[in-house]
Amino acid sequence: MNLRLKQRTGLQVLALMLFTTLLAGCGINNIPTLDEQAKAAWGQVQNQYQRRADLIPNLVETVKGYAQHEQDTLTAVIEARAKATSIQVDVNTLDNPEKLKQFQQAQDQLSGALSRLMVVSERYPDLKANQNFLALQSQLEGTENRIAVARRDFILAVQNYNTEIRTFPGRLWHSLMYSDLPLRPTFEATSPDAEKAPQVKF
Amino acid sequence: MRVLKFGLVLLLWVFAVTAQAGLKFPELTGRVVDSAQLLEPSVRAQLEAQLKAHEQATGEQVVVVTLPDLQGARIEDFGYLLGRHWGIGQKDKNNGALLIVARDDRKLRIEVGYGLEDRLTDAQSSVIINQVITPAFKTGNFSKGISDGVAAMLVVLGGNPLDEPAQVYYSDDEEQGDFAHRHPWLLVFLILLVVTTIMVGQVLGILPSGPVSSGGSSSGNSGGDSSSDDSSSDSEDDFRGGGGSFGGGGSSGSW
Repeated sequence: MNLRLKQRTGLQVLALMLFTTLLAGCGINNIPTLDEQAKAAWGQVQNQYQRRADLIPNLVETVKGYAQHEQDTLTAVIEARAKATSIQVDVNTLDNPEKLKQFQQAQDQLSGALSRLMVVSERYPDLKANQNFLALQSQLEGTENRIAVARRDFILAVQNYNTEIRTFPGRLWHSLMYSDLPLRPTFEATSPDAEKAPQVKF
Repeated sequence: MRVLKFGLVLLLWVFAVTAQAGLKFPELTGRVVDSAQLLEPSVRAQLEAQLKAHEQATGEQVVVVTLPDLQGARIEDFGYLLGRHWGIGQKDKNNGALLIVARDDRKLRIEVGYGLEDRLTDAQSSVIINQVITPAFKTGNFSKGISDGVAAMLVVLGGNPLDEPAQVYYSDDEEQGDFAHRHPWLLVFLILLVVTTIMVGQVLGILPSGPVSSGGSSSGNSGGDSSSDDSSSDSEDDFRGGGGSFGGGGSSGSW
């Protein structure tokens, strides 16, 4: 009797194990996994934008010392930075396309203002020879590149996530279990300001 | 409407991804992948040994790659995609760096993994490129540019940032000697640094006995000449990327 009970529990455990393995194999975990990946990728995007925002006060300070006549351009950069840092899209509001669009527009505006500042600084040879400025310039260049990479990673992560939801068998799991996780909006690759990244070349 | 827009973005991305997948990456045959045949064999062997010693001392993977061309991609994109494809750097630390030279495009780039960005910063990379490598490349001396560049990268990775001099880009290039002439102490310092790091590591038992024996290398061999024969044979088959990733850090230049 006792032996039989043991056998039965053993069989049940085995069946349960088999069942869960099969389920995992069917991709029941795919949607949450991809969701987390997209969120992590978004974290990286924000991280890099923040890095750029952190570089800007330094840059403005350095340029100010050499180019007092460019008050308008400097003010524009400071204002654009303030606006861009005031809009934070965290993972909870990531599903809000309006907010994502606002965020993107503010960052694009900052890119535009920065690019004008870099063009202006072309006219000041003393500034161009300044060691601090050179360092900042290469850092800014690197940050722009990091932003591009982070954005691409995010778009790719969202693409994987959305594809999983829209295709079989993810579509099935989505309607059965994860209907609270919607399709995600991503950056619009066709944004009108997309080509306006700061051109920092000398 | 939204679905349509979304579909469009998705479509664009499918194109972009297939375009990226279309890039053909060279095979990772060792720490120096000279597909464009820019390096002299002796320099190549010396670099292999130098980079191997650095990895043994620190775990950081630095790889030099020369390409005939970039297949139409930007060097910034090619750089991080190649780094990820090879997985240079240890997986949990992302401590890899690439020095990429594209011969026909006349472009070069130092691509830095996440884990090394605090030491090999964008600013430092840009100084190495513009001050150390490009002047030699302009005279056509690729071997010298690359080996001096790698030496400078290793100095910086050792925690000794280079000066960022006030006038770098616009001083006339003819007057400046090459890197070794202008900074003889720096090279000597580098060599001593590498040797002492390895020796101390071995004495403390952190490192296994590497290519430089703990006894007689204080005479100043950088670990290059002395070990080139034994390392060039085995490093080619056993070198693998550790699975590190790249996020676009580093700096680019052209000559």
